[in-house]
Amino acid sequence: MTSLSLTINGRAYGPMDVRDELTMNDFLREHLGLTGTKFGCGAAQCLSCAVIVDRPDGTSHTNPTCVVAAIDFDGLSIRTVEGHAKDGALTALQTAFVEHFAFQCGYCTAGFLNEAQVLLERLERQKVARGDLEEIIGQALDGHLCRCTGYVKYHQAVRDVILADPGRYLV
Amino acid sequence: MIFASPLPRRLKALAAACLLAGLVSAAAATGQTADIPAAGTLASPDSFATIEPTEARSAALFTELGKVLTAPRCVNCHPAGDRPRQGDERRLHQPPVFRGADGHGLPAMRCDTCHKAANFEPGRIPGHPKWQLAPLEMAWEGKTLGQICRQISAPERNGGRTLEDLVEHIGTDSLVGWAWAPGYGRTPAPGTQAQAGALVQAWIDTGAACPD
Amino acid sequence: MRPTRREFMTWVGAGGITLGLSRLALAEPVAFLARETLPGPEGWNPAAGGKGRIDGVAKVTGSKLYASDFRAADMPGWPDATAHGLLVRAPDATHLFTGIDLAALDMNARPDVVVTAAELQRAGTRVPAFYAGDLFCPVGQTPLYLGQPVALLLFEGFDAFDRARLAFRDRRLVTFGAETGPVKAPNYGAWRFTRVAGATPEAPDIYAPIQEGWISPGYTDSGGRPIWKVLPTAAGPAYAKGATHGEEIRAGLKDPDPGMLVLERAFETQSVDPMFLEPECGLAWYDTGRETLEMVLGVQSPYEAADAVAYLLGEARAPWRPAHIDAQFAYIGGGFGGRDHTPFPLYTALAAMFLPGRPVRLAHDRFQQFQGGIKRHAFRMRTQIGVERKTGRIAAFAADHVLDGGGLANYSPSVAVVGATGAIGIYDIPKVDVTTVAEHSRGVTAGSMRGYGTLQTMTALEVLVDEIAAALPMDPIAFRRRNALKTGGRTMTGNPYSDTVRAPEILDRLERHPVWRDRGVQKAQAPAGILVGTGVACVTKDYGAGADCSLGTVEIGPDGRIAIHADAVEMGNGIGTALANRVALHVGGIADRVTVAQVDVFGPLELVTSGDSYSITQAQQDEAARDPRWVPGISSATSASIGAHVGTQAAAQAAQIVYRFGLWPAALDLWGIGPADPRAMLWEEAFWQDGHLILAGLDPLALPAIAARAHALGGVTGAMAHAFSRWSWSRATFNLPGGPWSADIDALAIRRGAGGFVRLERSAVDFPPADYNRIGAAFSSMCGTLVRVEIARATGALRIAAAYSVFECGQALVPEVVLGQAQGGFAMGVGQTLLENLPAFEDGPGNGQWNLGDYLIARGSDLPLHALEIEILPPASPREGPKGMAEVVMIPVVPALLNAIADATGHRFQALPVTQAMLKGALQ
Repeated sequence: MTSLSLTINGRAYGPMDVRDELTMNDFLREHLGLTGTKFGCGAAQCLSCAVIVDRPDGTSHTNPTCVVAAIDFDGLSIRTVEGHAKDGALTALQTAFVEHFAFQCGYCTAGFLNEAQVLLERLERQKVARGDLEEIIGQALDGHLCRCTGYVKYHQAVRDVILADPGRYLV
Repeated sequence: MIFASPLPRRLKALAAACLLAGLVSAAAATGQTADIPAAGTLASPDSFATIEPTEARSAALFTELGKVLTAPRCVNCHPAGDRPRQGDERRLHQPPVFRGADGHGLPAMRCDTCHKAANFEPGRIPGHPKWQLAPLEMAWEGKTLGQICRQISAPERNGGRTLEDLVEHIGTDSLVGWAWAPGYGRTPAPGTQAQAGALVQAWIDTGAACPD
Repeated sequence: MRPTRREFMTWVGAGGITLGLSRLALAEPVAFLARETLPGPEGWNPAAGGKGRIDGVAKVTGSKLYASDFRAADMPGWPDATAHGLLVRAPDATHLFTGIDLAALDMNARPDVVVTAAELQRAGTRVPAFYAGDLFCPVGQTPLYLGQPVALLLFEGFDAFDRARLAFRDRRLVTFGAETGPVKAPNYGAWRFTRVAGATPEAPDIYAPIQEGWISPGYTDSGGRPIWKVLPTAAGPAYAKGATHGEEIRAGLKDPDPGMLVLERAFETQSVDPMFLEPECGLAWYDTGRETLEMVLGVQSPYEAADAVAYLLGEARAPWRPAHIDAQFAYIGGGFGGRDHTPFPLYTALAAMFLPGRPVRLAHDRFQQFQGGIKRHAFRMRTQIGVERKTGRIAAFAADHVLDGGGLANYSPSVAVVGATGAIGIYDIPKVDVTTVAEHSRGVTAGSMRGYGTLQTMTALEVLVDEIAAALPMDPIAFRRRNALKTGGRTMTGNPYSDTVRAPEILDRLERHPVWRDRGVQKAQAPAGILVGTGVACVTKDYGAGADCSLGTVEIGPDGRIAIHADAVEMGNGIGTALANRVALHVGGIADRVTVAQVDVFGPLELVTSGDSYSITQAQQDEAARDPRWVPGISSATSASIGAHVGTQAAAQAAQIVYRFGLWPAALDLWGIGPADPRAMLWEEAFWQDGHLILAGLDPLALPAIAARAHALGGVTGAMAHAFSRWSWSRATFNLPGGPWSADIDALAIRRGAGGFVRLERSAVDFPPADYNRIGAAFSSMCGTLVRVEIARATGALRIAAAYSVFECGQALVPEVVLGQAQGGFAMGVGQTLLENLPAFEDGPGNGQWNLGDYLIARGSDLPLHALEIEILPPASPREGPKGMAEVVMIPVVPALLNAIADATGHRFQALPVTQAMLKGALQ
């Protein structure tokens, strides 16, 4: 057992003792009941379990939770799919996912949402050329598996959020 | 029949090889222990003492060391391209990760998001604090042992190391050492890290000759 | 209309257990059903205005929705703590199973309860016929198949469960003794489909299954293979008669006259996993006080799952027999057929019954899902096709199919039949003879998966058609057009399609598309080291399964708000949104409370059923139909692309009744039009626009105003209906307040004002004839696909440079979902062709060591995300209803890719998948 403290969607959890072998995915789903973060493969292949890790330097990245121990998240601040909308108001990205019919069964959606949100925030810090956009979106989302949609609408949704506010994301 | 029950798919080829070589460990036959594949062995430097001339002995020592260098545990992260490989079958890494600017992956998928400080068996994920790809100039994939030997001897293609540094790198570096404790389903590099280090030392001591 | 309220369910399952009784804690604010009622009366309804799906907001905010999201603590009225079950499966099916080595587990990983074959025997459980075979392999026997369960371990706490799960995954704790070889078992079914057309298209067939019935050979050889020779069977001469025609067709192909070109080819398809993203799971609690088994499941076949559990426990001894079962069904994270008739709910129920009083969660991890989940059948096929050189007409076709059904029968008989009757695809062929047999093997059980049977046989067909067109030589699209079945033409079973056959339009569009038109230029301009090729394929796919049921309720409140309940399951297919949109066509507004996968809220219909609708005789059906509550089937799985056509049928019919007998009279009242006014009969002339009912010359009326008046007048404000289709809908007449009403439904209850639902007697009913069971398929939709590939000569790496799919689906209820299904079907087709593969036996998924990574499905980078064009044809006529399309869009992708590879490389691969390594090998 190891002590774990972390912040999830702005709320502090811990310190609490957790088993060293407990995955972060099981910690979220079985211990906290935060089942918006999905379990798909347990092998870091589908990334439906990915959450956002916010680093102290203001940057963020996604992290799979199914192959990583909960205790590796000690001291970290993370965001999950449950934390995007504020007071019931969807983010631009969430709205775009809905309006593009980006998902079907929706089981991969949390992972795509987190990955695309991190991409948007990265582009805000490091703007890119319009001509590179499709490739950058493709690279960012390629780790995520979706069995229903064929990915087209996810990509279109992310691209349209960026193109709707070019000054924010594009050089 | 020792392997009466089916082995994990990726271990089957290995099992056959082990049976031929008479290397099956007793533990693997019981239900009591994890299916950790048996590693190969390394000959000690002494066993090459009779080889003459010295240059041939040196090359033979390197050839023995080559069992380590060409093991999947080493080659998989010394790939020729921008994608590492994984598993004993050396398949391309899934999900598709790329070298990136610093050998730690592209911005959207960095090595350390999955690979933490140590192996994590519930996820069958290997780990080490310095997990990364070897630089492209140190690629071993697809090369002959002679080519690897000449490459590893050249500081501009071995990470700026002297030959003596190689003894340390191969013999004691903890990232290299991971190859001998790689976790479930991955065959460890043959022998021990200390034996490998001893082979490097003996190879240098005999003039660091390369096999053809 | 409180969403948490559940109607009393009156049907009684097998063994006398009542099914679906409403449960405790009805008014809890976050009851299961409230979570599953979308989008809910508060907040944004994306479906209004076509801005998104009914479930859009819930899915993008991580709401608890899927069966895997629920724990005991999420279920009002349940105990707080969740126990966990571990289903241990056999990684070996050629040695005697000797037991599980629990002593090897650490003390803190030991189960509290162990359930094996011995415990089931003691409890007196039964196995439903569909899953015939031991639920657990008994000690001392050889497992029937790889992945057969051997034990169910139950743990009160999560940590012990988790440790044990890893121990069983990573160590060999299931022990085996002497080698026996695999268990031999009879094949799951064998059929022969033969048709000999008359001399002219108008002439009756000389021999056809629709006339003569379906035939099976009566004998097997020592290896268990059917003997297809002309031999009478114990059942009579029917087989010999059909087989005689079949053998004549084969003799003609073996020794063709010089004017005929004959090709014979073998083709093999692989086993694949549906790979829905949410592994199977369930939550169950046996409340000993109420003797009630409560379950939360996620399946495509809710009614069947509840019924199967009732049968399992129906004659069990105390304390293993519940008096009631209340099964609730959640949204599912993908299905693709793999959750249609899965045995998983049986094990979930056992987990609860053997840990009474404790809610138990049973959930596969991905290794377990690969090991135990339903797979797509691997096919071995041999096909002969004979074409008249002068006319380019296909004169004769013969094929032999062998399916690997794996360990349990499951859907194998159906897959064999669907594959065989689909084997001639879009073509009109006067002489056809197809044999098919589904075999038992020690592989993981194969069952339903998207496009089952036809994906395999139409792939073999469409690559063969391509090859023979080239051999004639003839343009591949012109050849297809020359031979395509026309509207009214007869299919292989001898019946025509009920639908308009749109092959000419689809072939025209394929031919005109730049991907096809420019194929020569693209090939000529290929960069050095790159091989470019273009492929085409066109298929037709039945939708519906020949016994399709639909349950639906539509209610409108005095505020004009609409609620819909349906038995169809939301597995990503957008059924909730399709329901809302189709109902809105009749009642003018988008529902804000849609519940799907509901099988136990239709109690007022008082439905009863008997017999098997697939094998019932006409006399039996006529006799049964004398009971006014009888229907041929109550609820069927959401599968076979029936979502739009079947899943919305009952709700659409109910909506029409609410309009005709509730909203229309209220509108007349608001307009001041009396019953004698001829305009009172113009209910079909009026139409909805922007939430208003419009009739020429009158003020538009807002829906809430009409609804309020309907309630005030005590008009029909809710209707609940059941529909049944056997390639044609049941049709019945009911006496509604306001006159008799005939519709494509066979049971109806209505609500007047704010009252409760009351069943209406049907005054006449026509069920589709029993003979329609001889039809292979009568509903069909078509899809054609073009693909251009670029293959690197040195590495074999393949890139899809451009692709185009064109298809028809009648009225597209949610066009964006239809488009998404087509894009997803393309991706799955790419996976099937180039990436996905499961070895059959010890090296395959049954060994428990498979996961994604070993098994590759298409990623974004495998697909032409920016060069995939999808075209949905408008309906054949304005009155054409919705048709199923989610299977057909996958099928032509596979042969089109193979044909493109052949065009690029000159090599025709005759087995799937075609990997990069194989391409590299073929190019060296």
